[in-house]
Amino acid sequence: MAANPTFKTPVIARPTEELHEKMESMWSDPPGLYGWLGTTDHKKVGKRYLVTAFVFLVVGGIEALGMRLQLAQPNEHLLSPGLYNQFFSMHGFTMIFLYSLPILSGFSNYLWPLMLGTRDMAFPRLNAFTYWVFLLAGIFLYIGFWNGKGTDVGWFNYVPLAERAYNPDWNVDVYSLGMIFLGISTTAGAVNFIATMFRTRAPGMSISRVPIMIWGTLVANIGILFAVPAVSLDFLLLWLDRRFGTQFFNPSAGGRPLLWQHLFWIFGHPWVYAIVLPAMSIVSQGLPVYCRRPLVAHAAVVLATILTMVLGFGVWVHHMFSTGLPVIAMGFFAAASFVIVIPSAVSVFAWVATIWTGRPVFTTAFKFFAAEIVLFVIGGVSGFMTAAVPLDWQLTDTYFVVAHIHYVLIGINVFPVVGGIYHWFPKMTGRMMNERLGWWNFWLMFIGFNLGFFPMHISGLEGMPRRIYTYPANLGWGDLNLVTTIGAFVFALGVLLFVINVVRSRIKGPKAPPNPWDAATLEWATESPPPSYNFAVIPRVATLHPLWEERLDGSWQSALDEGAVLDDEHEIPATTVLDAEPDAIMKMPHATLAPISLALLIAGTFVGLLMSMWWVTAGCLLAMIPALLWWFWPSPEMGWAERARP
Amino acid sequence: MTAYDERTLPRPLPIGPAGYRTPGWWGVLALIGTEAAVFAYLIFSYFYLQSQTSQPWPPSGLLPLRWSAPSTAILLVSAATMWWAERGMRLGALIRLYSGLTLTLLLGIAYIVLQCFDWRGEPFLANSGAYGSLFYAITAFHVLHTAAGVLILAAITGWCALGYITPRRHSAVTVVALYWYFVVAAWIAVFITLYLLPWITPHGGPP
Repeated sequence: MAANPTFKTPVIARPTEELHEKMESMWSDPPGLYGWLGTTDHKKVGKRYLVTAFVFLVVGGIEALGMRLQLAQPNEHLLSPGLYNQFFSMHGFTMIFLYSLPILSGFSNYLWPLMLGTRDMAFPRLNAFTYWVFLLAGIFLYIGFWNGKGTDVGWFNYVPLAERAYNPDWNVDVYSLGMIFLGISTTAGAVNFIATMFRTRAPGMSISRVPIMIWGTLVANIGILFAVPAVSLDFLLLWLDRRFGTQFFNPSAGGRPLLWQHLFWIFGHPWVYAIVLPAMSIVSQGLPVYCRRPLVAHAAVVLATILTMVLGFGVWVHHMFSTGLPVIAMGFFAAASFVIVIPSAVSVFAWVATIWTGRPVFTTAFKFFAAEIVLFVIGGVSGFMTAAVPLDWQLTDTYFVVAHIHYVLIGINVFPVVGGIYHWFPKMTGRMMNERLGWWNFWLMFIGFNLGFFPMHISGLEGMPRRIYTYPANLGWGDLNLVTTIGAFVFALGVLLFVINVVRSRIKGPKAPPNPWDAATLEWATESPPPSYNFAVIPRVATLHPLWEERLDGSWQSALDEGAVLDDEHEIPATTVLDAEPDAIMKMPHATLAPISLALLIAGTFVGLLMSMWWVTAGCLLAMIPALLWWFWPSPEMGWAERARP
Repeated sequence: MTAYDERTLPRPLPIGPAGYRTPGWWGVLALIGTEAAVFAYLIFSYFYLQSQTSQPWPPSGLLPLRWSAPSTAILLVSAATMWWAERGMRLGALIRLYSGLTLTLLLGIAYIVLQCFDWRGEPFLANSGAYGSLFYAITAFHVLHTAAGVLILAAITGWCALGYITPRRHSAVTVVALYWYFVVAAWIAVFITLYLLPWITPHGGPP
């Protein structure tokens, strides 16, 4: 038996019919349940992320509609105060943790390898693992709710209310452990994106030719690496306080409740950027396509994205202005919060200039992207206002802040996400979405959103506090709240139309060509939907806009239908960090059950911790050792083992 | 389309995880970044609660160095043995590799044992006050990282012995070494924070 080969010169060729067939037989997943559970195909993982996160959006949205019905008029009794508390808490963490980031991970997982001109993520099994952990953590976080004991102290989960003395039920334990559990998925995903960006780009895609969407996601994921540990630690300390009587947050034993808030917001504010920067980069990627020109000031937008993330780590105290901190600290953090406006404005002006100097095509996707600019400006201005300490004291914990967070998170996350689906749906499914339904979809969402959330600014200015389950009639908030409720339902109707459009187009939309929008990046160079191997030959990239070279630069420079074949099982080129020169051939794994097994063992560990069944936890932890050995076993298939094959 | 650029691809390329900056190297570097952030936030919590207290800090006087000083020395030596092993791997000196990995592994276990003795000797418990909670959280978090490192060392030593990992594809060993240096560096930060700094500010707390 021959030893595993150690060197190989890639064959450069044009794809043939035989090559396509050979690649399909090598890269497609095995049939049946094994292939379904064991797939490591980034496109399948990405679509699962998108669908699962969208289901959580619908669940969180239904919770919101329940609250809006309760608040539509004064003195209503649809929801009890206790149930209302659960609704707003579950709504908050569902949207912020189970929808906002996972939906963006869905886009990134699906699009990254296609945009980078390669065949999978750097760690395909880790990719599958992050999805299973996300799914299981999402279910875990909801188990309390189904038992009538959902978490009910808000998604900030402030102590001392969240301590055992005030909240003896297991609801906060579910939330605490669930957040640590979910953090594993988020962190592992971030590691994967970083390694993918730095090692797997197509030959020639030097650092200046990386599409803007990759930058947005990369920067957010580097931020996640340093932000998520703060909240995981915070919840771990709280769980230790609750379960083992440690004293981290107990002031009578030297602890401090404000420690919770510091750690929470050290995470919380960077998290805001983690869930908007990739969405902003969806706009930066998609908007220019419909303006028929490249993004204005690409490099400035990239640098502004990086700067926003860096500054995002230095503003957390602006969530704590009302807690009695020293004036000097508040002054510093207020100033830092103002400064963030500058990089944010760079993106806004770049988008406006792109539309201004382009020839816009008013598709549904364009409308969603353009609406994002408007909503971002409104949400940005209300955020800028609350960065001023005296105004923040007036507005904190009122509906003004609720209006702000929704303009930011729906405006900069949901609108780009829906626009992004309209943009990439043809690539993902091979079918076009319906533009007429899209028109209704957009205008219902846009009008409903503004009708629902703009009046919240006014009710906030009139002093309506957030998190109240009802209010007396003589305060005069009834009309504003009725308008808000109507707007919320119009918005929900728009989302419903979106779902209908997706399902209908999936079944009987017209067939999509490879590049229906005539876009510039590599994902449009392959078929719609892409084959399991993405590209039969690895493209070589020479500019930032490989599909637009002829009209922008006068001649083709990138090689898209001639390239490295790499057809000995799962192979992709590894390239250098800055210049993307190929320096190795990476072997990629096949479908395997190791990721889902490990995810289930982690779930078992957390269930054991929740129920205080220590033997379950210990058993699962021990079983992880063989599971990890199985996963990491150096196999010839992965290009590891040097010795002869057995 | 232009002719393919001869400079870039058609030359022999190593297959598999060859070289230094493998995806695994980037992955472990990112993992180290996020784990280092946890230690940073733990130490932030420690200094934050210290700044807020009017009680002596540590509450029961200076921590003894009887176990922690030797364990620090042991970890420093283990970083050296790890380096020696990894260098040996690159040079193809397999005996040096095996003995270096085994030594590092044994030193890691020795550190964990010494830390257990240290815990036994402390006069406070994890629930007797915020200081104790932090002390045990920080040190236990570090022991867990060391224990994970010991298990990883055992696996990698076994794989080297089975002939799966060879000098040409040394990146697995390089990456494990990187993690081990992180474990040692994190301990230095913890040791200075918990054991040494109170000697400089003997009464702790704000002046």
